[in-house]
Amino acid sequence: MAAKSNLSGSPDADLSSLSDRSLSSRASNRSLRVAEKERRKNDAEDPFVLALKYFSNVEAGTPVHGNDEVEKNLVLVERAAYSKGLSPEAISVMLEFAMSLRMGSGICPRVLKCLIPATVVPQEAVVRAVAWLGVANIPVNTQILFIKWLLTVFDLIDAKDQLRAIYGFIFNFTSEENLCPFICHLLYLLTRKESVRVFRVRKLLELQSKLGRQPFLLNLLSLYKVFCPELVTLSIPSQLKSVFRNHNLPWKSALTVVQRRNSPQVASSLNLFSTSKHKTTSRKRKHHHLGLAMLSSAVNKEPQTETSRQLVPLVQLHSVAQLLENMHRIELPAQMGSLLGSSLGLHYLDCVQDESALLRLNFWLGYTLQEELLFSSDEGSSQSSEESMQFLDKLLSTQHFLQEGFSSSEAFLYKFLSVWDGSVLRPQILGLLSNIPVVPSSQIGQLLFEPLMQLFFTSSLFFKCGLMESLNNMLLKWLTWHSVYALEDDLDISLNSHTSINMTLSGFKDSVMELVDFVGRLASVGLQLEGCHSLLLNFILDFYTTVCDMFLKYGLPLVVVPPPGVFYPALFATDPVSVDRLAFIMHRYKVNLTSAKSQEKLTKQAFRISRQTFKEFNNYAVFMVNCLWNAKLIQPGMSIQLGEELLLKSNVPEYWKSFDLIYHPAFMSYAVDFHQKCWPGRKDMDLDSIKHSKPWNWYLEYLFNQGYDGLKLFIQSNTSRQLTAGDGQGNSLSTE
Amino acid sequence: MERNQHSVRTPLNSVVERRSKSKSYRLSYRSGLGAASRPCFTPGLTARRLDTSRKAPKSRDITEKMTKEQLTLLVQTEWQLSYVTPLYRFRHTQLKSYSRQLSAFIAAEKQQGLAVDVEGTDNTFRVSFSLVQGMTESVDDAETVLIQIHRKSLFASQNEPLKPVWSGWLTCINVNPGYLQSLTKDFICLPLFCSSGAGALTTLVQSWFQQSFDCCFGPLEISHMSLQWLIALWINCNPESSIRQLKMIWTLPVEPPLKVTYTVNSEDAWELWRTVRKEDRAGEEEEDSIDIEEVTSFMQGLKGHFFRHFRLDLSAGCLNEVSTALGSAKHTGMIKISNSKYLITTLTLLTECAILKMPI
Repeated sequence: MAAKSNLSGSPDADLSSLSDRSLSSRASNRSLRVAEKERRKNDAEDPFVLALKYFSNVEAGTPVHGNDEVEKNLVLVERAAYSKGLSPEAISVMLEFAMSLRMGSGICPRVLKCLIPATVVPQEAVVRAVAWLGVANIPVNTQILFIKWLLTVFDLIDAKDQLRAIYGFIFNFTSEENLCPFICHLLYLLTRKESVRVFRVRKLLELQSKLGRQPFLLNLLSLYKVFCPELVTLSIPSQLKSVFRNHNLPWKSALTVVQRRNSPQVASSLNLFSTSKHKTTSRKRKHHHLGLAMLSSAVNKEPQTETSRQLVPLVQLHSVAQLLENMHRIELPAQMGSLLGSSLGLHYLDCVQDESALLRLNFWLGYTLQEELLFSSDEGSSQSSEESMQFLDKLLSTQHFLQEGFSSSEAFLYKFLSVWDGSVLRPQILGLLSNIPVVPSSQIGQLLFEPLMQLFFTSSLFFKCGLMESLNNMLLKWLTWHSVYALEDDLDISLNSHTSINMTLSGFKDSVMELVDFVGRLASVGLQLEGCHSLLLNFILDFYTTVCDMFLKYGLPLVVVPPPGVFYPALFATDPVSVDRLAFIMHRYKVNLTSAKSQEKLTKQAFRISRQTFKEFNNYAVFMVNCLWNAKLIQPGMSIQLGEELLLKSNVPEYWKSFDLIYHPAFMSYAVDFHQKCWPGRKDMDLDSIKHSKPWNWYLEYLFNQGYDGLKLFIQSNTSRQLTAGDGQGNSLSTE
Repeated sequence: MERNQHSVRTPLNSVVERRSKSKSYRLSYRSGLGAASRPCFTPGLTARRLDTSRKAPKSRDITEKMTKEQLTLLVQTEWQLSYVTPLYRFRHTQLKSYSRQLSAFIAAEKQQGLAVDVEGTDNTFRVSFSLVQGMTESVDDAETVLIQIHRKSLFASQNEPLKPVWSGWLTCINVNPGYLQSLTKDFICLPLFCSSGAGALTTLVQSWFQQSFDCCFGPLEISHMSLQWLIALWINCNPESSIRQLKMIWTLPVEPPLKVTYTVNSEDAWELWRTVRKEDRAGEEEEDSIDIEEVTSFMQGLKGHFFRHFRLDLSAGCLNEVSTALGSAKHTGMIKISNSKYLITTLTLLTECAILKMPI
């Protein structure tokens, strides 16, 4: 029974699935149709499509002179051709238009010159055009131009069978004296064994007796001779060569541009191997430096290495496993620049200690950057900046891969910063900037700070933010470097002294100090210039989040507190996030300083953090606690002093309360919200009632629940919460 | 906590050194600003500048070592200058094989883009590499290499000599030893490349060098300052071999651009030069040297004279070309050294300019 129901069940299921399928296929059909309709509608509105329509429908004999419509449409087609190239359909429309001489022969060369194929050239169009060559009364120069175009795009024609079928027709044009050289070239490309006939050989010989031993005739004949030696008895000189020149001049540059643009964008992520094509550098291209060389093995091999072991060129390796297998006998490429695109190569470079290889890479990289970006004369062309951007992106991803910068890019950057306008290639340059290794404090000012300061003060807010971020990353890298290498002091593996870097701890500290001070100065003035913009403030606080943890996180015995120009704007900021972040930073400072102090006591020797630093920190901490917690704005003995009269003059009632956790502009809205939640019935709002001990604790709880962890940490570590608001005292660090 | 303690123990002024193997390698990535052992690896620093003082040119007879053909070629041609980054694994002993390789390379490149080459693989270009003997000054200088390309014409008879179509040479005179020390022994430093002939061939030769020795070629302009140095060096030779006349071409940035050709008689120029020369070199045994101050005051003198006559201050303009009987130089990097005696001095200056343009 069960089986039966099963049996009967299955056809049903099949049926339903069938109908499902048909349904879905119908749906997809419909969606296809809709899409098609949509496309047509779009096409109908596209001026380029309209222009093509115009050229395919225009009546014969329409005048060209004074005809604005044809001019407008032709410009449209030309623009499309030079930017993206023309689609096969567009090529056939335009070619048909030109060769049929529908609007006379005057416009014909102009149309021919803009026939830049985006992908392929349809064979039918070419065959039709060749047919027009025999019918229409086309001027000889235009005929030649057409054949030249045909020769240029020959490789892009989608099929050649029909063209070969009209071989005889084309051959007839050899009798036209002016066309003959180009026709011969075309025939040379089309010739196959079956096209070689006695009467053609005879014709060519006849031409030769008429025109003399012309190279193009000889060349075609020599090809005939290769196919059918029995038909051509003529002796061909052995030095025959280079007679068919390239006739691609009018289209060459446009064609390369279009093809490069249409080729898939180079992925910025590193492929296992560079896919960049090897371009001949003999072509006179202005920007040939930015292309990476192909991974190719060296030509001039050292004889002794060849005999001692079999070398494996890097280009033959395709996986990390292969790399590991052949680690001992890898041959570096002839041009080290090619490694930039190959992550396997970089892996290898990262392991071996080949200083020559690095120097080669650096020479090439430095040269490329310098010639392309520093000395290049034709600024502003979008093409070149696009290329530069891709190149720098590639360089950056390589540096990230190696987690280290190249010395040549560093050298380039020092030169470039002094001429930079702050906007060209901004993300890339800022990225390179953050990869700069530790600069000795004696040189840091001249190399980095002077140019950066000028740029900072003359640029937009977004540049300021970008620079802050970049300097923060730079500091992070320096600190990481220190925390890795300073700790390995005990390891004693000897190495050649040639490359060792001699930077003392105090030298390193000086550099970091200079950097932090510099950013402090920039930040103080920057905040003033930008009216304490909260975006900029956020980037600055990012930087100080790194600075405050230098001791505990990176083991650098150095604590630098922010300047007043950063501290006070952050404390009085109108957005709670900034205040919260400042509170977190102050908390971390306290933890760092406490730990430094206890260690100082423990180990006796070691470093000292200056009393001044403790004092500054304490001042800030006390001020902050007084302000937020005790509602006391000024206290005697503080670092900033405000005249009492001045504050009274401002006519703010009870000004001393203005920046406590209730009245602080950043938290006021929370206080109001809390008040409403706490006493929903109350009509008149009295925020002061939050100050009472019970609601105050609730209020704090409420604030902390909003995610202000920094504030929570700061308040927990700097006040004792059991006390009521009025009695809360900051327990600051002692300077002893 | 361990870590912190550790770092605290790090004594003040301890050397933060990279010790492990992988680290030593990585150092070469960093600029080594802190690396005392690589003085020239101070990239982009202003440390590398043109010397402010240089030896006065002494006429030297280098003719005895050089072959006559080489000398006439070097002296009678106007050269286009380029700088070259150090050549990797270039061997002066393998010039013969390089000649073969470059010939083959040129032939291959010339055939690119042609329809199938049916017959006649015979080379029409013959390349020869040769050493130029005696073209060195200090012991560190790599020997100068001369490259010549000859062309067989298609219909030439067997006995007809090959026609020279291109020549170029790589040289290095009095290079800064510090720079050489920063390179490993795999590199040969020949920073100055002079070429003359078809641009297409220059490009081909350069790309062959690029592929074979992993080096890069860039244009070398002769700066305003270097042109002034050349004037001074040439003037200083006047007593030994007359400069005939000093001709300078200035361009002034006005609308429309103004080109000034300023010619000075050799005696007048020498007279002016004599007055600006510092005479307080008493008791100085070492070789006569020229200071940058002397050069600038000489130029000031010339400009002042011009201003008195034409009310036109040349300091606002740019010196573009200089020529004397001893040689001529253009801002664009063209140079002709007409007198073999002062070849070395001029090349020392140009080598310095080339090193100055090195990326690292």
